[in-house]
Amino acid sequence: MSQVTGAQSLVSSLEAAGVDVMFGIPGGAILPAYDPIFDSKIRHILVRHEQGAGHAATGYAQVTGRVGVCIATSGPGATNLVTPLADAAMDSVPMVAITGQVPSLAIGTDAFQEADIRGITMPFAKHNYLITDPADIPRAIAEAFHIASTGRPGPVLVDIAKDALQKMTEFNYPTSVNLKGYQPRLEPNAQAIADAAALITQSSKPVFYVGGGVIKADANRELLEIANLLGAPVVTTLMARGAFPDSHPLHLGMPGMHGTVAAVTALQKADLLITLGARFDDRVTGKLSTFATNAKVIHCDIDPAEIHKNRFADVPVIGDLKHTLQALIPALKAALAKNKPDLTAWLRQMNSLKSTYPLGYGQPSDGSLSPQYVIERLGKISGPDTIFTSGVGQHQMWAAQFINYENPRTWLNSGGLGTMGYAVPAAMGAKVGAPDTTVWAIDGDGCFQMTNQELVTCALNDIPVKIAIINNESLGMVRQWQTLFYEGRYSNTSLESKRVPNFPMLAEAMGCVGLSCERPEDVDATIEKAMNINDQPVVVDFRVHRDAMVWPMVAAGTSNDDIMIARETAPDWDSQEL
Amino acid sequence: MAQHTLEVLVENSPGVLARVSGLFARRAYNIERLTVGPTANPEVSQMDIVVSVEGHALEQVIAQLDKLINVIAIKEIKPESAPEVHDTQPDYQN
Ligand SMILES: Cc1ncc(C[n+]2csc(CCOP(=O)(O)OP(=O)(O)O)c2C)c(N)n1
Ligand SMILES: [Mg+2]
Repeated sequence: MSQVTGAQSLVSSLEAAGVDVMFGIPGGAILPAYDPIFDSKIRHILVRHEQGAGHAATGYAQVTGRVGVCIATSGPGATNLVTPLADAAMDSVPMVAITGQVPSLAIGTDAFQEADIRGITMPFAKHNYLITDPADIPRAIAEAFHIASTGRPGPVLVDIAKDALQKMTEFNYPTSVNLKGYQPRLEPNAQAIADAAALITQSSKPVFYVGGGVIKADANRELLEIANLLGAPVVTTLMARGAFPDSHPLHLGMPGMHGTVAAVTALQKADLLITLGARFDDRVTGKLSTFATNAKVIHCDIDPAEIHKNRFADVPVIGDLKHTLQALIPALKAALAKNKPDLTAWLRQMNSLKSTYPLGYGQPSDGSLSPQYVIERLGKISGPDTIFTSGVGQHQMWAAQFINYENPRTWLNSGGLGTMGYAVPAAMGAKVGAPDTTVWAIDGDGCFQMTNQELVTCALNDIPVKIAIINNESLGMVRQWQTLFYEGRYSNTSLESKRVPNFPMLAEAMGCVGLSCERPEDVDATIEKAMNINDQPVVVDFRVHRDAMVWPMVAAGTSNDDIMIARETAPDWDSQEL
Repeated sequence: MAQHTLEVLVENSPGVLARVSGLFARRAYNIERLTVGPTANPEVSQMDIVVSVEGHALEQVIAQLDKLINVIAIKEIKPESAPEVHDTQPDYQN
């Protein structure tokens, strides 16, 4: 075998792992790797901030289902990846991050640009490596891709000392990966499937509680089939929007803190939660001790540690959701043939809630622009094949509420970590992964100011994303909490972003088209104009009124039973037969 | 709170002690005692961990520990009986 540098071995390993694109920035410790990258068929996209590289890798992974890859130098380059790595861990995104490290003899000496990135990422990375011997590079890369993409997906970091990149070695990519301590279970236990089917036939108020795992497992077709088979209502969490068509009559919408009355109530009143790839997050359950108190739980998940973590599962089913549903569907068919529960009354109640309490919003009396209206029109005009990303805040919740998602992998957001600044770089990664699809980032004026520098990357690399800034000149979600819980004392939430910065000019300065819109009657024409620009990124500054609030709302720490549909307004429970 | 002894086989790789102790710290599980020693296989070490937890929390500790890639096997040592071998499926042993 001929001798190559560790750096060449790294790049050959990435090629062997099937990488076609990576996002990164070079620097001293990773520099040896950038020389063979220059000759590689892998497309390297030079970002403007490593955080952008990380979220772009996530956007790419969420859209394609493949592993997203980012690369950075040691020290500050590596620490700039911490937020996207934590974000990817919370949302179970398959990602591999490569970082350069100071030379092995300098490790532990507080050398220039030394940071213990393996130690820093240990609490949340699915796994990580520190490589000091070039011979270990191919195996570490093969294992990293295997770990990131199998089981419950997650981020894996490979930190490589500079001298390991420089030394000579043999490139020998392993043909298989065998990890003694990592063998994710794909096939569900047969008895668990039988028990789940039996429990479903005993239920008169079942709900499919669907989480992001359904999308990760590519199990949306199976979900559609089992939902139709049982004819039970479905709720899709923030991470699962698009896993089940919003247009489907059994869909009650999103549960949780800003969920629909029907979805929240369905979980509360159910006698059985058929939980698919969801994790009983506090933003869904509200006060846990009052969550779905009469429900039994079937919990299907690939991660055994999710079972009984927040909520006891009567029937845990551990396995890949696609396999699980493929086993459950015939078992349920057989069970239903013997004993089909009557769900009519339950469906009638839920449909009554759905029609009595649809999502809605008021138009501002002064004729100014309503943020919900802008977002609703964006969804309608760009259609169900469009990919949407969002930042974190009010605009995120409205984007989850007022756009109809019909297909998986069309809604990308930072659900678990709630990372402001996710939208623009995630849109960049999404567009790279799906170049023929329209990608809209729905961003807040606050979030946009955290990561908009990646629009330069987009402009220079022919990545024509579209950005809708929902400019309410404030950190709107925080302001909403100040309105509701701090007597309207608006401490440090005014951004004044209708004065500074001038977003269209900022966009133009970054090589994008900048548009602005502040009248309801101009919304459609502005969106259409943006839709027709496909050779450059477009940024639209939608100047909306700042007092709009996200409803419904279950205040943090309170019970889902106390859902409010507007300020000091609970649903009229007495008029509902529940 | 009841004390449980876990016998954990881990890959003898750098950082594995930090991974295990860090997990206990961040998930707020109480370690009463932790010892690490060699096994007949030089690639594998054994950690004996005494934890104070109740009921389902023990299953959580074991499930979270098992998620660590370098953790190969976990046995709970019951005081008077044979060791109970845990796999990660709490209620259904395949
Ligand atoms: C990195 C980060 N810092 C702070 C927060 C807390 N936070 C949550 S929403 C929000 C306001 C976001 O403002 P903007 O982007 O304008 O969105 P809006 O709520 O106004 O739609 C803040 C500060 C966060 N989620 N992420
Ligand atoms: Mg705002």
